[in-house]
Amino acid sequence: MKTFEYTRPRTVAEAVRLLNEHGPDAQLLAGGTDLVIELRNGWKEPEVVIDLKRIDELRPSITEDGGFIKISASTVMTDIAEDQRIQKYFPALVESAVVVGSVQIRARATLAGNICNGSPAADTAPPMLVYDAVVAIAGPNGMRRMQVDDFIVGPGKVALERGELVTAIELPIPQRPMGAAYTRLTRRRGTDLASITLCCGVDADGITRLAYGSVGPRAVLLVEMSGVLADPNASHETKADILNEMFLGASPSLRSMRASPDYRRAMLRVLGARALQTAIERLPRETAA
Amino acid sequence: MSGDGVGASARRVGGYGRVTGHQEYLADITLTDMLHVKLVTLDCARARIISIDKTAAEQVSGVRLIMTAEDLPHPMPRFGPQFQDRPVLATGETKYHGEPIAAVAAETKDAAEAAAKLVRVDHEVLVDGVFSVSRALDPTAPLVQDPDLRPDDPLANTNILREHHFGWGDVDSQEADLVVENTYEFPMVTHFAIEPHGFMAAPDGDGIAIWSTIQHPYLLQKTIAKLLDLPLAKVRVFAPDPGGAFGGKQNPKLEPLVAYMSLRTGRPVRLILTLDETFQAVRRASTEIRVRTGLNSDGTLVFEDFESNFLIGAYVDIADRVVTKGNYLAAGPYRVPAVRIIARGILSHTTPSTAFRGFGIPQVTWARESNLDEGARALGIDRLEIRLRNLAEQGEEFVPGDTPADGDWQQAVRRAAELLGWDEPLPAGRGRGIALGLKSGPTTGLSYSTVRLLGDGSVLIYSGTSDMGQGARTVFAQIASQELGVPLDRISVIMGDSTVVPYDQQTSASRSSVLMGTAVLRACQDIQAKVRTMAARLDGVDESEVSVEKGMVYLPGREATVTETLVTGLGPLGGELVGNGEMRKDKDLEHPLGGSALFFEFNATAVELEVDPGTGEITITKHMTVSDVGLAMNPLQVTGQDEGAAIMGLGHTLMEHYIFDEEGRIRNLGAIDYRIPTSLDLPLELRSDSIENADGPGPYGVKGISEGALLAVSPAVGSAVTEATGLIIRDLPLTPQRVWEAMMERV
Ligand SMILES: Cc1cc2nc3c(=O)[nH]c(=O)nc-3n(C[C@H](O)[C@H](O)[C@H](O)COP(=O)(O)OP(=O)(O)OC[C@H]3O[C@@H](n4cnc5c(N)ncnc54)[C@H](O)[C@@H]3O)c2cc1C
Repeated sequence: MKTFEYTRPRTVAEAVRLLNEHGPDAQLLAGGTDLVIELRNGWKEPEVVIDLKRIDELRPSITEDGGFIKISASTVMTDIAEDQRIQKYFPALVESAVVVGSVQIRARATLAGNICNGSPAADTAPPMLVYDAVVAIAGPNGMRRMQVDDFIVGPGKVALERGELVTAIELPIPQRPMGAAYTRLTRRRGTDLASITLCCGVDADGITRLAYGSVGPRAVLLVEMSGVLADPNASHETKADILNEMFLGASPSLRSMRASPDYRRAMLRVLGARALQTAIERLPRETAA
Repeated sequence: MSGDGVGASARRVGGYGRVTGHQEYLADITLTDMLHVKLVTLDCARARIISIDKTAAEQVSGVRLIMTAEDLPHPMPRFGPQFQDRPVLATGETKYHGEPIAAVAAETKDAAEAAAKLVRVDHEVLVDGVFSVSRALDPTAPLVQDPDLRPDDPLANTNILREHHFGWGDVDSQEADLVVENTYEFPMVTHFAIEPHGFMAAPDGDGIAIWSTIQHPYLLQKTIAKLLDLPLAKVRVFAPDPGGAFGGKQNPKLEPLVAYMSLRTGRPVRLILTLDETFQAVRRASTEIRVRTGLNSDGTLVFEDFESNFLIGAYVDIADRVVTKGNYLAAGPYRVPAVRIIARGILSHTTPSTAFRGFGIPQVTWARESNLDEGARALGIDRLEIRLRNLAEQGEEFVPGDTPADGDWQQAVRRAAELLGWDEPLPAGRGRGIALGLKSGPTTGLSYSTVRLLGDGSVLIYSGTSDMGQGARTVFAQIASQELGVPLDRISVIMGDSTVVPYDQQTSASRSSVLMGTAVLRACQDIQAKVRTMAARLDGVDESEVSVEKGMVYLPGREATVTETLVTGLGPLGGELVGNGEMRKDKDLEHPLGGSALFFEFNATAVELEVDPGTGEITITKHMTVSDVGLAMNPLQVTGQDEGAAIMGLGHTLMEHYIFDEEGRIRNLGAIDYRIPTSLDLPLELRSDSIENADGPGPYGVKGISEGALLAVSPAVGSAVTEATGLIIRDLPLTPQRVWEAMMERV
């Protein structure tokens, strides 16, 4: 491992200043469950590592504010999975948080880090897309906000400019009753990187939001407005056709060792249909009709 | 049973240190002035080495030595437990992905790593490598091994190392109602010990000291002594308890390299492999086994005919022994009138394979048991029934000329079936399987132990066994506790220092409880005899009137503990009593394996499972494993071994395998893309049980255990998958994708 300078700023402003000063030579450190491995393997060789964990404004916190649940940048998967408001409004996010790594990893891994790392297989990306999360960004020119769908760019790449960091993830509390489910395909049940990540949400107006990852450069979101997918009485065949259409954009890796392209494509259909079914079942009953 | 003696689930000796991180593993040992070593390898399997340029690497600050083949004696020193074919460093050609070509020693690990990257190896990649059985046997394929290494061998100009023929009766003249013939494949898998291999060496006066995570320290001592032309007494081997080994740490690998490097630099050097490097260092032989099973319509076995190809890798290590020992028992625990076994060890440009829990038996068991099930299905006979019908009875000489069946195996099979609920109605969507595994224990053995009963009645046990997590320290201490009446917390077990601890042949083949256990028992009995003499002297009675048993001394009219007798008997000067014990099983040159089985490990595994019809994922709902252990000296440890072996078996059955690219590079080096089962991947219900009839050759009737529960996992699971889905898959692992592909093929 190459040596680097380790800094531990106290404020976002200071972190931003450091980031801006060092540009690509700096790396932010949250839980470190991605970064430390990259450092050890020599995949990243920063001059400066900026630890975010001592910044007061970013301390682990989950708050409700103005119709949003705000998750600060240092909040880890374990906290997210245990939070009652998140369990109530964003159960699919909980389902994704509880499969990240292992108990130990989840006690370290942040939600912000999961998105900022830019992995196509990030487990929380599909639910964040389905729930329309907003990323709060601090930078040299102050704060800005961005839909997570715009924030995610491609493998290892997110829409952060020089000097910018994520301060929080903000999830709008659904205005209409919603049912959602997260599922994934792995080679084993414990600690694995997914060959498919997939989240499906249906709401009382019949809108279906479906996001899937690990089968292309980034997780993608598709929205189906016709109401057919969300209709508990529509036939499986009709739904399968619509889902197949939605999965046409998938471009699974040809050389991946984790799963063959054929298998991934087929499993998108299987997991898609299952997650949709679960989402429909979870949609609160009185409004499901 | 509680307590410290034999039969108690006594607390693991050294267990606290292991789970709290206090145990000193090899990598925790630092030596003053130590240099760190990093290997130089090429990112290809087979290449011709043209030249090596050290210039840039030598510029790295802190670099002290860059060792290449040029810097070693000529001709290149070679070693190996069976054939002396493994070079200290690759010379002329690399023969597998990751074979060390050079090694850098530097003041820091970082410097060694940085310099290793800068060693320029001018080479030509030889794309025509041998990575499969079919290619190896193709007459146009390159030879993996230099024919000069085995000059008088008629096979020297082929990639076949050895072809072995075993069997009895005349297969060709047998009349069977049904003949089932299939080929079964088994993947390359690696041991994945949590502690990677580590090696250190330091000049030690006029000799050398070696530290290694080795299972066979005395074999290492011999190897180094021979290479360096030193007397055994000048080669000191330290073997700290390994953190898991599973056979992968049995034989010397990189110790000769660090030895030469330390002599060259005059300093201690150390090399700790990364997990990725351990994948390139050790693996199980992959196999292709064709079986023809002849059956009568009532399910009686008529013949078994095997053609067994083991792809062993670039150097032999112990693989030829794996081939012979694994295949010799290919027909399993059954009564078969005629058996023919042709078994080949085949060289390839892949990581040398070595011993791995089960030692060749899991591969042949996968083939034999699966094929038997195909026969049972064709005949419409229950799969449990067909096994019971053919299973050898206790005392039956089922392999002519070998040890007769040494246990009530029927009992184990029935117990496994009963635990699973074999006779109960099968829940919808599920499938069941049952399979039997049989492995012979050691065919030779030699263990010595010294036990010292110190002046205060505490005990030191000296044993050359390696405790790599199997709990050898605990059972040896339990034996001494039982015999000398001393609680476990007053007993220490000393291992892992060849200058202090007497010779032991090896820690392998589930031998230690039986062989070293007997040596420890005899050393304790030696002490008991001395206590008896002492007691007779103290009381002025004839020795024949005194007996010593389980820590007690019985004299005419009174009894005393061993400790009381000792303290009085030693008198004011104190002192101690020393006992020695030896256990040997000599070579039998008439026997095809060089010796009959000291005992058999017999196991019956029964599973019930579900297969997800959409994804092909397997969920094992029940997994029952029953082993014939003779006697459980420590039932908790037996359970631990059986469960561990069962889970390890699930690894190669469900998920583990090396993935290669076209040029023979292992693509899934390391933990991310080589998956082993986690706690979340376990069967929903996993239970082990032991058959205990005290009919083993070891102390109190024990047999060896710890490999048995792995042997029959694959065929039991495979058979259950067939029952659940109707699919027959003859290649492992049964990954979701493979199962799904089989479902698609059927459609
Ligand atoms: C054993 C293991 C298993 C894993 N399993 C999974 C899994 O199942 N699913 C999964 O999705 N991931 C998994 N991961 C990856 C990892 O745990 C997650 O991506 C995690 O959420 C990353 O968060 P972190 O806080 O540890 O990030 P870090 O490693 O600290 O940072 C990750 C990246 O994000 C950047 N970053 C972090 N915080 C910010 C911020 N506030 N603003 C801008 N940039 C930032 C860092 O600079 C770095 O580039 C696993 C990792 C390990 C080691």
